[in-house]
Amino acid sequence: MSRSGDKSPGYTGFGDEWRPSNLTPADARRATDWVEAKIDRRSMLTDKDRVEDVRDAMWELEKDGEIVVHRVDDRHAPVTARTLYGWEKKVPTNNLWHHKSCGQCGNIPGYPSSVLWLMNELDISYLDETDQTSCTAWNYHGSGIGNVVSLATVFLRNFHQAYVSAKARGLSEGTYYPLVHCGTSFGNYKEMRTFLMHSAELRAEVKKILEKLDRLVDGKLLIPEEIVHYSEWLHVVRDRIADRQKIDMSGVRATVHPACHVYKMVPEDAIYDETVLDGNRVAVSTGLLDTLGVQVIDYSTWYDCCGFGFRHIIGEREFTRSFAIDRKIKVAVEEARADVMIGHDTGCITTLDKNQWIGRAVDKVYALPIMADCQFAALALGAHPYKLAQLHWHASPFETLLEKIGIDWEKAKAEFEQYLEEVKAGKIETLYDPRLAITSGEGYVKPAEIAGGGGK
Amino acid sequence: MTDHHAAIGDPISAQPPVPQETLEEIFEDIRSHILYDHELHGCLNCGICTATCPSAQYYDYSPREIVQLLWTENLEGIYDAMQEKIWACAQCYTCAARCPFENSPGGLVMIMRETAIKHGMESAKEVLRPFSRVLLKVISTGNQLAPNMITREAFPDWGPNVSKVDAPLNILRKAIPVPTMHTMDTAWIVNLKTSIELYTIWEETGVLDQLEQVDENLFDVVSDVMEEKREEYEEWLEEQEEDA
Repeated sequence: MSRSGDKSPGYTGFGDEWRPSNLTPADARRATDWVEAKIDRRSMLTDKDRVEDVRDAMWELEKDGEIVVHRVDDRHAPVTARTLYGWEKKVPTNNLWHHKSCGQCGNIPGYPSSVLWLMNELDISYLDETDQTSCTAWNYHGSGIGNVVSLATVFLRNFHQAYVSAKARGLSEGTYYPLVHCGTSFGNYKEMRTFLMHSAELRAEVKKILEKLDRLVDGKLLIPEEIVHYSEWLHVVRDRIADRQKIDMSGVRATVHPACHVYKMVPEDAIYDETVLDGNRVAVSTGLLDTLGVQVIDYSTWYDCCGFGFRHIIGEREFTRSFAIDRKIKVAVEEARADVMIGHDTGCITTLDKNQWIGRAVDKVYALPIMADCQFAALALGAHPYKLAQLHWHASPFETLLEKIGIDWEKAKAEFEQYLEEVKAGKIETLYDPRLAITSGEGYVKPAEIAGGGGK
Repeated sequence: MTDHHAAIGDPISAQPPVPQETLEEIFEDIRSHILYDHELHGCLNCGICTATCPSAQYYDYSPREIVQLLWTENLEGIYDAMQEKIWACAQCYTCAARCPFENSPGGLVMIMRETAIKHGMESAKEVLRPFSRVLLKVISTGNQLAPNMITREAFPDWGPNVSKVDAPLNILRKAIPVPTMHTMDTAWIVNLKTSIELYTIWEETGVLDQLEQVDENLFDVVSDVMEEKREEYEEWLEEQEEDA
């Protein structure tokens, strides 16, 4: 594994015990041919000349006066990353609007709480508010109910709210930039942006509805310059995170499950980094782990999906659990001898975490801790595993990982149970002032400076 | 709407084959979909999509076959695939990422699913039956998943460790340090005005019509919820006017 800043020659997977193969040039060529016949970044590069950067179309439409682009500007302290084809992507790192994930908030709450906690640690400004819906794409991909017009309208409604949200605090429009937590929302929104840029008919239909909702800017559709996943934010701030690291992670063998909707859906927008797996795989999560000193272990089924299936996780779980166990968990345990599998998407974490116990029914007994990259990073920085990372919602045996990195989980659990007594008594600790979460309607309190001094 | 579920080409079926005009209607709906030309460009039958397809490993399903049926305009085959096969797709888009023609078999499957719903196919209704709880939640609240949907009864195969700390759900939710998540009915607290905006989107984009097509009872329940929330919002607006 070539770590960031390390000049080691090339990609070396399989952890500490890995040794160079010292193949002859001919054998190396043959091996490379085999890999090329399989899957890596190169397999996606063949279409490069035919792929359009949708942002070019976006700028044209803005020039023609048809849309307004919500730019990533100095307020967002952008860091530039490179995508699959080497295109630049501006990743905002400050003043972020949290576009939450229904699956994370409903089922893996330590996922968003870790993201927010890391932002507090890095002194980053953000807004987490109630005026947002999910992207509704989980439902669409699962059921077929919904359509491109509904998905595109939901997308632009939520992003419009991100754009205007700062007004509730007396700040200018566009102050906050949306940061998308869910991989499916991320992929779906990128697809919708592409479709919107390509179809005048779609733009007209969406515009008609958004006009009714008073969700246009100067009578035009508001389109984001970049659509950014939280894992991309983590990737570009990974060195700042590592600067605050408190726990040595060098003994941890981690496998990464890259999420399909993060890098296969609109692949040209996924971040690749020459310092991470030599740029051959999507960089997010792996780059972070690498920077935290973790041994990232390669495994043969890294490219496979998790088995979530959108519909299958609900109505056809035989597929989901079989795929999760046979193609991911089993391989990570037997082949990679991993201590943990790290993901960066809602459905993947749910699927891989919850579908291990059932393996006992067919003598496939595997136990592998599953968590999101942000939860792992929060642990590395000393976050409480229960109060903050909320690991008790995970069914997989995270306790074994905590033991390995020297965290006394029994003590931490007892502390959390004690905290629950305080919660029952109404003493609740939060990461930000709860009043800020409401930006309009019932419960909204206008800041004194924009309420004429009175505040309401 | 048509209601057809006969298998094509079944020599012992007592039911008449699906009329040609119905097959053409269905294909026309697929072909005229706003995304059809974006998702299908050609096909050399290379099979790379099927080689990397997770569902192909467990089902009688092949993204290559879906693309070929559409590319060759095999109307009977398309209808047949819409009975069951299109519901096997896991929507991972691995096929789309790999296709040398930049086809999106996963995207084509979504067009076919939408069309199956539009035509009220029994197969679609049957497949979506376990999805009703989710549909109710997402259409009435904008959140697909709520904490109170994750129970041991609903997910017995997830085992006994769905939560490793024994405490009431409302207390566990309040112990999450993110204020917007101090709720059990939705993944996060959703502003009432937000829900009302979403209802307008559903109405304007035909999503409620789709819901009615697959489950009339669910449509009625969702309609009631929407009406109640709209009344609630109107009352709040009136209160504001009175206070002003």
